[in-house]
Order: sequence, then structure tokens, then C-alpha cells
Amino acid sequence: MKSLFQFFSSLKLTVVLLSLSLILIFFGTLDQVQYGIWHTQELYFESFLVVWTFPEHAPLGQHLHWIRIPMPGGYLLGGMLLINLLAAHFNRFKLSWAKCGIFLIHSGLILLLISELMTDILAVESQMPVDEGGTSNYSQGFRENELVFIDRSHPEHDSVHAIPASLLKPGKRINVPNTPLSIRTVRYHGNAEIGRATSGSPAESIATRGAAVRMGIIVNPKPETYSEDEINTVTAFVEVIKGEDSLGTWLVSNVMDERFPPQMVDAGDRSFEIALRFTRHYYPFEIELIDFKHEKYPGTEVPFNFSSEVKVTHQDSTKNQKALIYMNHPLRYEGLTFFQASFANQDKTSIFQVVRNPGWLLPYLSVLLMGLGMCAQFGMHFFKFLGKQRR
Amino acid sequence: MKKIIYLIVFGIAALVLLGGLRSSKVDSDFDLEAFAELPVQVGGRIKPLDSVARNTLLILSGRQKVVTDEGVTLSPIEWFLDLTMRPELADTYPVFKIEFPDDLGLVGLAEQGQRYYSFNELLPYSEELSRLHGEINPAPELRSPYEKQIADINNGLIRYHRVMHSLHPIGGAERLDRLVDEYQSYLATIQAGMVELRKQQAGQEFDPALLKRFITFADDYLKLSTTAHLRVVPPPPPVDPLEDWKNIGLELLDVMKGDPLSPYVTSYASLTMAYRSDDAEQFNSEVNELRERFIADFPGDISRVHYERVFNALQPFYISMQLYVLIFLAVCISWLRWPKELAKAAFWVLVLAFLIHTFGLLSRMYIQGRPPITNLYSSAVFVGWGAVLLGILIEKFFKNGIGAAMASLVGFCTLIIAHHLAMTGDTLEMMRAVLDSNFWLATHVVIITFGYSAIFLAGALAILFVLLGVFGSRFNKDTARSLSAMVYGIICFGTLFSLVGTILGGIWADQSWGRFWGWDPKENGALMIVIMGAIYLHARWGGICKERGLMALAICGNIITAWSWFGTNMLPVGLHSYGRMDSAYAWLIGFVILQLVLTATALLPWRFWRSEFGQANYRKEKKPSLIAAEDSEA
Repeated sequence: MKSLFQFFSSLKLTVVLLSLSLILIFFGTLDQVQYGIWHTQELYFESFLVVWTFPEHAPLGQHLHWIRIPMPGGYLLGGMLLINLLAAHFNRFKLSWAKCGIFLIHSGLILLLISELMTDILAVESQMPVDEGGTSNYSQGFRENELVFIDRSHPEHDSVHAIPASLLKPGKRINVPNTPLSIRTVRYHGNAEIGRATSGSPAESIATRGAAVRMGIIVNPKPETYSEDEINTVTAFVEVIKGEDSLGTWLVSNVMDERFPPQMVDAGDRSFEIALRFTRHYYPFEIELIDFKHEKYPGTEVPFNFSSEVKVTHQDSTKNQKALIYMNHPLRYEGLTFFQASFANQDKTSIFQVVRNPGWLLPYLSVLLMGLGMCAQFGMHFFKFLGKQRR
Repeated sequence: MKKIIYLIVFGIAALVLLGGLRSSKVDSDFDLEAFAELPVQVGGRIKPLDSVARNTLLILSGRQKVVTDEGVTLSPIEWFLDLTMRPELADTYPVFKIEFPDDLGLVGLAEQGQRYYSFNELLPYSEELSRLHGEINPAPELRSPYEKQIADINNGLIRYHRVMHSLHPIGGAERLDRLVDEYQSYLATIQAGMVELRKQQAGQEFDPALLKRFITFADDYLKLSTTAHLRVVPPPPPVDPLEDWKNIGLELLDVMKGDPLSPYVTSYASLTMAYRSDDAEQFNSEVNELRERFIADFPGDISRVHYERVFNALQPFYISMQLYVLIFLAVCISWLRWPKELAKAAFWVLVLAFLIHTFGLLSRMYIQGRPPITNLYSSAVFVGWGAVLLGILIEKFFKNGIGAAMASLVGFCTLIIAHHLAMTGDTLEMMRAVLDSNFWLATHVVIITFGYSAIFLAGALAILFVLLGVFGSRFNKDTARSLSAMVYGIICFGTLFSLVGTILGGIWADQSWGRFWGWDPKENGALMIVIMGAIYLHARWGGICKERGLMALAICGNIITAWSWFGTNMLPVGLHSYGRMDSAYAWLIGFVILQLVLTATALLPWRFWRSEFGQANYRKEKKPSLIAAEDSEA
């Protein structure tokens, strides 16, 4: 038992773990060329084990594609480092002024590791496009999707019943919350190509109702893309069931958006609009874009400023406010942060990045601890060195 | 003896300085300095023509001078003057650098040992060149060296052509010698021409000769407005600093809308005529008129434009580069002979070189109105500056020349890198919106780059330790200990700066896109440096590695830092795309291999170490085994 404790608190383990992190980060950077940032992040840093494969498209790729290097992932290394650090402090460190620098650095580090974990688990990022003069009360994810049933019968508001797309496993039956309906996924594609059937190709389709039948839409599955500037066309065939009776099978896809006529499910007394779309986050307030500015350096196309003047109207009118959102100056509001992310539509639409990250303050705190610790630690070394030189 | 050594070292340093100052002066009856300071709007900034001339020449020739076939050396502004005003002469100057002319497969072009070609020499091959250009890979990052060379020549020719048309339309002598008349007859034609044009459109009777003359002008200036490269015509006063300047063609076209013709246009025409007729007096008075007008319109900008011209001419980084070589040599000689005096003289030259380096850095900050690092080029300049600063501090404490030698080595190498990065053109460009934050540029970027300086300096010191220890004979325990202390101190420093810089970067990212950490390649690179520093420090504190192992780790630090600095920019991903580059890949790989070899050398068993220090360690290592052997015999 004691030797196990010795092992976990040893500096040798620290050095080994740090070296492994170095290797992990290096390969986790290289693989971004293949998989893009998001997927690599999941593979390398939000995992326990990862295997690097020599990329096929790199120079000499055909000959070296067999090379595989397994390595511990970010969760494993981060967790081990955390244990190592805590064990070392229990085992060796006595709190003293001489060690206070190291102590501060290490507590900052622990806080940083925890905040990264919190961000991984809790942070939600989405985007909110708003037209000049228009308003919006929701933001959209850009990777996650949801299957929704919308009841538009109420004159003042719609009710939306949503199921995350990640739950759409073929064969599985899910009750749609607060409705008499349930669904069974017949087929699910993480990415697909969708088109009209031409006379040459067979218009065979599993769908029995909705747009797919009406317009003769066919689906060709495609491998998922990890590129940052492409989106996955998530597509599914969903059978809708009321009680024990099947109402039919619909084709839904996130490219079949507002431009398409809505697909309706008639459930007797009520009818629902069915759609698969990027996950929406609704808020109890509306953002109105008053003016968007896109300024360039004179004589060039190089932008030097994007800014959006917005007005926030909350259901609770005491929380109303106006704000100017521009580069490096986000709006923090109700636990959300709105960043100027992009623009579209000939500078008439501003796109905000909306981030909910409950732990956003933790890195700042940890930074403070580490900075203080470093100054204390190296300051002490430096003055000791100066003293030696003088003598 | 002492005095002579000082005199020699300082004498050489003075020669370097004088050489730098002298090359910036040009003898001519024409007031070239005033011409070089005429304003042009490039990349959102007002610059002197001198900067444009230098950058264009750098891109075409890779150097800031032209040597004609007769052996006459021209300064960039002299070349620019000829290019725009005596194109028939400029076309004979060899300004297109072609590294491997034989590879092009153009029969008759390549001449033995010739790397620079004139426009006239390339002219017969223009069709062939554009055909070859049509066949190369359209994606620049996937091009082979051969394809890259074709693309470079083609782009060079286009640039040459466009810069030539910057000040006025180009034509034969009969046109260039009568530019002022041409503009006048154009102005006189406009009103009548417009009337005739309307008549023609309305189907009425019109004067075909008059209309034809008018349309010829319009067509010609329309073409000029798409060709002319430089925006040399400021808007009429009062001036809004955010307003676009026009190029000559556009200004001439806009006269048709009823705008008055800018006096800048006619002034350039008169200037050209004066230069062509060799009338220095007329030229100088026209230049001064232009200059006075600019000062009146832009009173706040003239001093900066003037300063930029002077800064261009002084080339402070070039001078400090030469001084760094001098220092390095002086220190190396001092280890063989006259240690005290030579090392001391070298130290003072190092301080001088550092001051000149600092002057260059501050000048760039003043000209650009920005913190020191805005792109890869300026980061290279800064890495060298930081390393020299640290080297001076080390030298102050240890006084053995080691700090000075290694600092000058790093300073020299980084300035060479900067020199090569400058080949791509303007190094004082504007920042993209997300990077446009002086506060973060001044803190995060400066601190993290200073971290690079420290790690590189520590790596250089470690390399010295290994080379002296393995190959030198006089390297003893004391030198080893002081070198170890230096490396340790500098790495502490480097780790501190890298950590603080990385964290500040995280805060910036949180402020600008809501993610403290995004695993972006550049971020990862910075984190790798911090971890490398942490590995070194823990290995040292835990006694896991001894001197040798620590030196090997410090050399690995070089690899990590080079990866973070350049390698990550070569990956086609990420948000930090401010310093993207497609070449230099081979250099990076070469550097990494060299560092790996040095690391391996550091790990050689003690018996291969020739130095006193190495042999002592070898004996120490052998002792226990000898004792064991004796025990077994007994």
C-alpha cells in the first residue's frame, strides 16, 4: 500500500505524465489536419485512450499507413496528474513560506484542470443570426440536432416537443414528451446527400408520408465530415405511432428547413409539424439588431472592425438593456455571453456566438494563483542567486 | 596590447556602422530623397514611395538593390524612378531572380551562372511562360518547387507591369514626353465628348471623330484604372483618414463625372517629363510642390512618412546582424587567447548591437502605431531581441563571454530568419479585426514571444555545453556548473513567460470567442513549451536527470519551440492564421534533425567526452565497478 502511495506521489511519475501529455498534444495537433478541431478534441483530449494512425494522405502515407501509436487520452492523463499532484502534496509537502510559490502554482493548476473538465461537460456553444431591424429569441447549435414536434394551434405561442438526435437509434421507440405520440427510428444517417429522384434512378423510399413521397426525395448516405466549414446533413426516417397505430413514416433532415413546406402529422384532435433541425436554445428575452457595422482599412478589403448595436427585451422588463457587441468586447447577459462571430447577407445580418459556460470565471482565478505562485517561486530563486553572486 | 585589442574590435564595429550609413546616401542632382518620401496608400496606411520600391524589389529580386549589366548599382528608389518614368531603360535591368533557370525548360533563356534576368530577356518567352503557368497546380500550398518558380515568375511579371503603370499611363517616348498635353487635351475633350456620346445614344447625328477620340481616352484610362498598382492620389481636402485613395486611372476616369482632376496627377506627369528630359531643377521644384501639397493636406502624417524613409535607408537590423557576427567571432577568439580584453570589448559591442536592434524595433512600433509583434517577421525580430537582452544579463553576472556568444548567435539566426520572411513583401501590414487589439498584442503576444527567446537561448547554451564537453579539452567542472546555472535560470524565466503568455492568450480567446481553451494548433504549441519547461524543472528538482540529461532536455526545448513558432503555422488549420507560410518546411525539418543529433550527442556515454569534465565523470562512473571487480577478485 505504501509503495503504491510512493508511486503515485513520485516526481518520476510527474515527469512521465508530462512527457506523455507533450506527445498527446503533438499528435492531437497533427490530426487536426485530418479530423478538424472538434473531432480531434473528442478523440484526444476528451478520452481515456487514443490510437494515432499515420495519415494516408501525408507524404509516404501509402507505405506508412500501418503505423499506429496508442497513447493515453486527455482524461486519463489529466486525472493521473491530478492524483499525482494531490498525493505528492499529502506525502512530501509541508506548508512553509519557502514552498508557498509551488503550492500556489499547483493549486492554480488543479483549478485549471477542473475548469477544463467543467467546460467540456457543461459549456454549450451556439449561434444566433439576427437581421438588421429583426429580432431573435433563440440560438442554434451547429453540430447537434433535434427532432421536434411543433403544435401551432395556440394563437400566441407554439409548443415545441423535442428529442435530441443522438437518441434516434434505429429500432428504438421513444415517447414524445407531453403528446399522445411516440416514434420509432427506421433509419438514421449522420450525413447524407438529398436530392430529387430523376427518371433514371429508382424512386424507392421507405417514407410513406410527407415531403419525401410528395416530391420524390431520395437519400444517399455519406460519411460524416469533420471539416469546420462543412455541415453534416443529418437525415432520418421516423415512424410516428399513436397508441399502437402507425401513422406512417416520414423523412426528416436538417436541410429541409423553413424553405420547405412544413410536414404535418395529423394525430386526430391535434396536428403537429415534424422536423429535424439544429438544436435550438430558447431564451426568455429577445435580441434586436439595430445596426451592424463592418469597417475596412482604407484602400483594402481587410476588415478592422465588426460591431453590432443591439437591444435586449426581456420578459421581465427591468432586465432590458442596450449594448454594443464588437471584437473582444462580448455582451455578458443572464449567464450567457454573446460574441460578434460572423456576418452574412451583404452585411445585413450579424451572427453572434452564444456561449453558456458556468465555469468561465475559474480559469481567471487559477491564472491569478499560478501567476502569483510563479512570481514567488522564481523570485525567491532569483534573489537567492543574487545573494550568492554578491558573496 | 590591451588597448590594441579594444581598438581593433571597436574599429571593426565602427566600420560596420559607417558602411550602413554610407550605403543609405545616394548622389544625384535629382532630389531623390524628397521623391522617395512622396505618399502612397498601401494596406490601409500612408507610406513613402520608398517602401513600395523596396518591397517590390524584395519580392522580385530578393534584395534591395539593382545591379545593371554595366555593373552600376541602383538604389530601390532610383530603380522605381526608371521603372515608372524611363521604362525603356528599366526593361533592361536584371531584376527578376530565377533560382533555377535551367529547370524551366525555356530554350535559350538560361545562361551559365546568371540568376537575375531583365524584362527584355524574359519577353520572348512570355507566351510559353503563361502556358506553363496555366498547367501548374491551382492550389499554392500543393505546388512543387518547379511550379512555385513558374508561379513566382508570372506573378513577378504581373507585379512589375502594374507597378510600372502606377504614376501615369505608359507608352512610347512620344507619349511619356507629352503627358501634360495629353491630360489637357483629355480635359478639353470631356464635355464635348459626353455631348456627342448622348447624341449617339439618342440616335441623333454626331461627330464621329470627336466621339472616337473621347472613347479612346476613356477606354485607355479604364484599362489603366485596373492596371495601376498604387493608390497615389489622395482625396481632395478636407481629408478623412478612412477614405480610399485612388489610383491614377480611376482619378482620370472620375473626371468624367465632373470631379476636378487632382493636382497630384498633373504633378506626376510634369515630374515624369522633367526626369525624362534630364531637367533636375524642374524635377526638384515639382517634387517639392507635391511634397508641400501633401504636408498641407496631411499635416499629421508627414513626419511618420519621413521617418519610415529614413528607417528604410538605415536598415538597423542589417547592421546589428553584422555586429552579432563580429561579437560571436570575438568571443570565440577570446576563449583561445586574450580572454579578458576581447570578451570585454565583445560585451560592449553586444550592447551597441542591442541598442541598434532596439532602435529598429521601436521605429517599427512608431511607424505602425502598434506593439512590436504583429506578424511572423516581427516575431523573429523580437525573439532575437529578447535573447540578446537575456544574454546581456547573463554576461553581467558571469562575465565569461558565454552569454554574449550565444546571445549573438541567436540574435543573428533570428534576424536571418526575419530577413527571409521579409521576401514576401510588406512587413508592416495591417491586422485583421480579431487581432486588432493593442492591449492583447502588447501583453499576450509579447510575453509569449519573449518565452521563445528564453527557451532558444537556453537551448543554445545547452548546445554549447554539449559541444565543449564532448569535443573541447579545457571544459572543466566550474564552467559546467556555471553553464548549468545559466540554462536553469533562463528556463525558469522561459517557463514563467510561456505560462503567463499562454494563460493571457486563453483570456483573450475567452474575450473574443468565448472559449478559454480551444486546442487550436498555436495554443497547443504554447502549451507544449510550458510542459517542456515543467518537465525540465521537475526533472531537475527531483534529481531525475543530471547535468547531461538536463542539457538534452534543454536542446529538446529548441525543437518544441521551433514547432510552436513555425511548425503550427504550416498546418492548414486553426484560428491563428496570421502567419501562414508554405515553404520553410525543409528548414524546419533540418533544424529538428540537427537538434536530435545534438541531443543524442549529449547522451553519449562519458567515455566519449574528451573534456576534463567528461573524463572526471567517466572515472567517477567507473569507480564503483572497479571496486566491485576488486572485491570479487579478493
